[in-house]
Amino acid sequence: MKQIEKKTGLLWLEITAAAFILLIGTLLAPASQAEEMNLKLASDTINITTFYNGTTLTASGTVPADADVLVEVSGPKKNVALKVKGKVGGFLWMNKTDVELENTPAVYMVYTPEKLQTGLDKLGVGYQALVDNIAIEPESADKGFVFAEYVKLMEKAGVYGVNKGAITYGPADKGMKTYSLTLVIPPKMNAGDYMVRALACRQGTVIGRANQALQIRLTGLPKFIARLAFDHSLLFGIMAVVIAVAAGLIIGMLFKGGGGAH
Amino acid sequence: MFHMYLPIAGNSVNIILILGLGGFVGLLSGIFGVGGGFLMTPLLMMFGIPPTVAAASDSNQIVGASTSGTLAHMRLGNVDIPMGVMLLIGGIAGGTLGVQVIKLLRAMGNADFLIAITYVIMLGGVGGYMFWESLQGLKKGEPEPVADSGPAEPVPAEKKESFLQRLPFQYRFEKSGCEISMLLPLGFGILVGILAAIMGVGGGFIMVPVMVYLLRMPMHVVVGTSLFQILFTCVNVTIMQAWSNHTVDFILAVLLLLGSTIGAQVGTAVSKRLKADQLKIMLASLVLLVCAKMLAGLLMTPTIMVALKGGH
Repeated sequence: MKQIEKKTGLLWLEITAAAFILLIGTLLAPASQAEEMNLKLASDTINITTFYNGTTLTASGTVPADADVLVEVSGPKKNVALKVKGKVGGFLWMNKTDVELENTPAVYMVYTPEKLQTGLDKLGVGYQALVDNIAIEPESADKGFVFAEYVKLMEKAGVYGVNKGAITYGPADKGMKTYSLTLVIPPKMNAGDYMVRALACRQGTVIGRANQALQIRLTGLPKFIARLAFDHSLLFGIMAVVIAVAAGLIIGMLFKGGGGAH
Repeated sequence: MFHMYLPIAGNSVNIILILGLGGFVGLLSGIFGVGGGFLMTPLLMMFGIPPTVAAASDSNQIVGASTSGTLAHMRLGNVDIPMGVMLLIGGIAGGTLGVQVIKLLRAMGNADFLIAITYVIMLGGVGGYMFWESLQGLKKGEPEPVADSGPAEPVPAEKKESFLQRLPFQYRFEKSGCEISMLLPLGFGILVGILAAIMGVGGGFIMVPVMVYLLRMPMHVVVGTSLFQILFTCVNVTIMQAWSNHTVDFILAVLLLLGSTIGAQVGTAVSKRLKADQLKIMLASLVLLVCAKMLAGLLMTPTIMVALKGGH
C-alpha cells in the first residue's frame, strides 16, 4: 500500500513538473518560435536578358502551425515627382500642381493567405502602413489622396499590388507548417535591389520575421545598351541617328531595286 | 511570346506589335509628310513606355522613316530642297526661341491653359478649313493630275502680293513653282518652330498647312519637302535627347524603324496615286481626329488624378 502511495505521489510530482515545464514552454513559445520562421527564395538574382518579359519566383519557408504568413516585396526607394490634375479655367482638366512623394518604393507588393485574422495595417504591412512612412512635398498637399492616386497608377503598371490568397500552407508537423507562394516579377520591375520580407503573425501581433534580398540585374545586350546610353551618351545619340539613316537608305534602295519606279 | 526587353524604357514589348505600329505610322508619314509622333507617343505610353522615352525613341525612329520617305519622294521630284533648307533654318531658330517663350509664359502663370486652348483651336481651325476647302475641290471634281498640280488656290490679294514682291532675296523655288523672297519660308519656319516648341509636338501638322496655304506649294511637293525638313529636325532632337536626358531606347527605336522605313515607302506609293484634294481631306480628317482626342482628354474627368512628371 505504502509503496503504491509513494508511487502515486511521485507520479503527481512528475505530472506537476511536466505541466510546469509545459506552461513555461508555452509562455516562452513566441520568442523561441520566432527563430524558427524562415524564408527561402528559389533564386536571389534575376537576370534581364534580351528577350526577358518578366518572370516568376517561388518563395517558401516554415512557420509555427497556428500562425499566418504575410510576404512583402518592396523595391528601391526614391522621391517621386508627380503632377496632380485639376480643373483650369473651370472646365479643362490639366496637370496642375507639382507634388513629390519622398522615399517611396518603386515596387510594393504584398502577398497574403486567403484568410487573415487581422487587418494588414495593424501588422505594419500594406498601403496604409506604407503611406504613414512617406512624406509629401509641399506639406500642404493632401498626402492620402495623392498617394491613393499614385497607387492606382502603379497598380495599373503592375508594380504595386495586394494579392490575397496567394500564400498556401502545407500540413502541420511538430507544431510547424510549410508555406509557399509564387512571386510575380513584372517586366516593369527594373534592375535594382529589392527586399522580400516574410512575417508570421498570430492574433494581431507579429511573432516572427525573415528577410531575403533579391537582385534584378541587366545582362548581355540590355546591359550593353544601357551602359552605352548612360556612359557614352553623345556617341550613343550619334550612333542611333547613323543607324536610323542607314536603315532608311537601305530600305529606300531595296524598294527602288525591287519595285522599280512605282 | 516574342517579347523583347527595352533597357532604357525599363519594360518589355511585343516585337510583332511594335513592328506593326512602326509600319502603320511610317505609312502615314509617307502619305502625308507628318512625323506621326502625335500618334506614336500616346500609343507607346499605352504599352507601358515612359512618356519621355516614348517621345525621344520615336524621334529616333522618325529619322529612319523620313530618310526612307524623303528618298522615295525625291525620286518622284517632290522635294524642294532650297525651300526645305529655309524652313529648317527657320524651324531650328524658332524652336530655340519657343523654349524661351514657354519659360516666359510659365513665369506669367496659366501658360498651360493658354497652350492647350491655342492648340485645340488651331488644330480645329486648320483641320476644319482644310477639310472644307478640299471637299469643295473634290465636289468640283477637277481631274487635276497629281505630278503637275499647281498651287492649290489662285492669286492672293493684290496688296499683299505687291508687298511680298518688294521683299529682298527673291528666289525662284523650282519644285514649288513659285518665286518668292527667301525671308518668307524662313519667317514661317520660325513661326512653326516657336509653335512646335510651345505645343511640344514635331510641327508637321502646322508645317504642312503653312506650306499648302501660305506658301501655296503643290500638295505633293509639300509632303516630300516636309519629310526632308522633319528628317533634320529629328536628327537634332534624337542626339540632344540621348546626350542630355538618356531617353533614347535604341532597341525600341530599331524595332519601330524596321516597320516604319518600309511603311514610308508604301506610303509614298499610295500618296502618288492620290489626288491633291484627296490627300488634303484625309490629312484634314486626321488633324480633326487629333483635335477631338485632345479636347476629350481635356474635358473628361481623368480616372487617375496624378501623372508622373515628364509627360504631357
